[in-house]
Amino acid sequence: MIEKQSSVKGLGPGFWPFTALLSLLAAANIYFWAVTPISRWMPTAVTVATQIDALFRVFLAVGIALFIFILGYAVFFSIVFRARKEDPPDALGVQIHDNHKLELWWTVLPTIAVILISWASVRVWFPIQIASAATPAGLVVESIGHQWFYTFRYPGINGEVTGNMHLPVGQAVTLNVSSEDVIHSFWVPAMRLKQDMVPGLVNIMRFTTDRVGRYRIICTEFCGVNHAIMNKQYLVIQPKAQFDAWYHQWQVKNATASNALPQVSSAPIDLSDGSAAAGQVLFTQKCSACHAIGPFTQRIVGPGLKGVLHDPSHPNLLSGKPATPANVADILQHGLQGSYGQMPTQVQNALTDKDIANLVAYLNSLK
Amino acid sequence: MAVAATHVGGGIADHVHPEPQGFIRRYVFSIDHKIIGIQYLITGFIFLVLAGLLAEVIRTQLMNANGGFVSNNTYNEVYSIHGSAMVWLVVIPLMTGAFGNFVMPLQIGARDVAFPWLNMVSFWMFPVAGLMLFSSFLMGAPVAGWTEYPPMSLQGEAGTSMWCAAIFLVGISSTLTGMNFMVTILKMRAPGMTLTRMPLFVWAQLATAPLSMVATTALAGALAALFMERQFGVPFFDPTKGGSPLLWQHMFWFYSHPAVYIMILPAFGMISEILPTFARKPIFGYKMIAFSSVTIALAGFMVWAHHMFTSGLAPFMQLPFMLLTFVIAVPTGVKIFSWITTLWGGKIHFTSAMLFAIGFVVLFALGGITGIFLASVPTDLHLHGTYFVVAHFHYVLVGGSLMGIFAGFYYWFPKMSGRMLSETLGKWHFWLFVAGFNGTFLPMHWLGFEGMPRRVAVYDPQFQFWNRVESVSSYVMTFAILLFFVNILVSLRRGKKAGPNPWKARTLEWQIPSPPHYYNFKHVPTVYGLPYDFSEPLPYRGLDDELNDAPAPVPAGAH
Repeated sequence: MIEKQSSVKGLGPGFWPFTALLSLLAAANIYFWAVTPISRWMPTAVTVATQIDALFRVFLAVGIALFIFILGYAVFFSIVFRARKEDPPDALGVQIHDNHKLELWWTVLPTIAVILISWASVRVWFPIQIASAATPAGLVVESIGHQWFYTFRYPGINGEVTGNMHLPVGQAVTLNVSSEDVIHSFWVPAMRLKQDMVPGLVNIMRFTTDRVGRYRIICTEFCGVNHAIMNKQYLVIQPKAQFDAWYHQWQVKNATASNALPQVSSAPIDLSDGSAAAGQVLFTQKCSACHAIGPFTQRIVGPGLKGVLHDPSHPNLLSGKPATPANVADILQHGLQGSYGQMPTQVQNALTDKDIANLVAYLNSLK
Repeated sequence: MAVAATHVGGGIADHVHPEPQGFIRRYVFSIDHKIIGIQYLITGFIFLVLAGLLAEVIRTQLMNANGGFVSNNTYNEVYSIHGSAMVWLVVIPLMTGAFGNFVMPLQIGARDVAFPWLNMVSFWMFPVAGLMLFSSFLMGAPVAGWTEYPPMSLQGEAGTSMWCAAIFLVGISSTLTGMNFMVTILKMRAPGMTLTRMPLFVWAQLATAPLSMVATTALAGALAALFMERQFGVPFFDPTKGGSPLLWQHMFWFYSHPAVYIMILPAFGMISEILPTFARKPIFGYKMIAFSSVTIALAGFMVWAHHMFTSGLAPFMQLPFMLLTFVIAVPTGVKIFSWITTLWGGKIHFTSAMLFAIGFVVLFALGGITGIFLASVPTDLHLHGTYFVVAHFHYVLVGGSLMGIFAGFYYWFPKMSGRMLSETLGKWHFWLFVAGFNGTFLPMHWLGFEGMPRRVAVYDPQFQFWNRVESVSSYVMTFAILLFFVNILVSLRRGKKAGPNPWKARTLEWQIPSPPHYYNFKHVPTVYGLPYDFSEPLPYRGLDDELNDAPAPVPAGAH
């Protein structure tokens, strides 16, 4: 039967010239990505974007080169080793099972490649995700996802800023993102960064702005019927003077905003027009990390708060005072130190007087 | 006791049940693995058509930047059911239920799977679950995609609860099939078929079975929790009630990452059968291919959180998941290199099955390469949730799994039906499909990179050109699949008779008539070696009577 087997000289006709051609194409591809910055197609708005782009270029160079070889050899072997009309019908290919040297090589080489891409990835990952936490926070801004828009909180501006998000150029920024309803995502393609905005969780993005421009903010986690149009707001990076003007404008505009960042005062809070609906929203942002809406015994850090004002088996609050709206407001205002742990004050938890009124109205509505 | 006595001779594998009479017991509530395999195949293809039509609704909507073909809400329902159906009602049942059931027992020389009744139960859960899933359109289908992340899925209409129940049911079916296959492969191989003499398709099913058994139970837990939260207000995931939205993501991906391998490992096995048969030479690196399947299956359990790099994991948690994901590139690379080297020095016959197999290798490789971009945290921070991800998983699941299903179908259809498919239509199918596929999914890479998020009913007009290219290409792809179904229907009536072994293949299923008898083998054969040595005599004994008029084996007493 041996005569029916084909025999191949060396690696077969044309193998080396074709390999040379593939190598040339792969080298051209690698050269292209070595000299072409991705900012040719997409601007970069922050400093880390350039580092992430460098990693993209490594992957594009290596990945496309690898694909050139896989596609090339698959097509080339298919053509060179096709069965021909003049072959006997029962002709066989070369009967080889394996080649340990070759298999060793193509296990070792990908392993080395994996180590290299791991090293390249960690080198970019470490400064973005780990080391940046140890650097000064810079400007701390908060963004909150809503169905279907973003709002922002700035230190020194009362209440929430709507519309576009402004940042001065050359500024280190810590952006805390969260959500008041479902999961959203904060993606600015020009930053090459994104974080999901998860209700009940604060995710942190750290970056330094470095190019003036308007860059679109896009939601990439499905968040309901209008998810597709949650891309109408911009990140505006501008010179410090312009930013300051914008900032001042919002300070004035929000000067009397109802949920202004408060100072703890000893004056009792006016609870007369609290909104339970607004309180429910606030609860998910400010309270639900430590308190469940469940019975007293359903403890996370503090006790469960369902029926806190209407629970006959717990007539007193943990402060020892009777469970009345005013006494609940007192805890929200001044915090509480007890066997359960530390409850933050109004300032630590960034609650306005109005927020407290809303929260008390909400808690009062739970029976 | 009489029953026990009949078991003595050839052991469990030589045990023959009487062939059931009557249409219902033969073709509807059958316990024959071959009939059940074909039932899975037909049902899976019906769902492929339905979910494929949903895909065309998606592409037609995206023809224009402002959509307008269906409402935004309908669009969201459509892609959610498209994804869910393709994963749970098409790819997984076809890979394991259809091809696993029909081919695997034949390849190991068994008369049936270990638990034929359980096999029937597994199958019948599947169409029921499918109808439940599609019925969710009647009550407001889920909108949050096949991943159904809460709290979004808590806001969904009643159909979201139906979705939970349907996927739960099809998950049980998949778990039971995994157990059945595991026992079958471990306990019912013909004498002499050691683990290292098993065909590679059987190795692939052996690697897949524990994934179905273990991972699917995590999904069942997640679905039960979501169902309870939606229906009875038990707070698992709602943060306003003390639940954790990330808990769902962990449980979901603890299943769904291994599920990726449930959907691709059997295709690896099919390709490893088809390439040697049509290259007329042994598979290159048998042990490496078998071993890498097992490695991939094991590693597949340890990488789930790479789907959650932007979700809010503790930053240091990202590191092990990123590095372990990179590690999977090594066994995957070994497979791809082994397949390409199998082509080297061959006498390659370009049948439709072979074209799809070679196409699989190339397109799956591209899907693997884009996986690196998503596995690396810094690049994933940009790409997560964009069309780049959509491109990546369609290269793996359509360029990979579905091409594998087509390859396997062209290869085993003659064994199932006794007739040949039209090679001319098969080649049209291949070339149109590959062209349409690449036109549909290749541009998604740069669309996602440049800023097009996934799951959007309308999009920025700057992306309209490539979206139109994609939509038109998707019609070409759909036309190619239409040719495929025409080919099946025509060939079933008019196809050339196949004979037992039209491809001159060497695994056991090709040494018996097409279609095989109810009892598969008249005598259980003895196996002496690997099935891939084309220059040697077949490594089996005891098959002499299979193709002549020798009497059928005598059934054991009914029980």
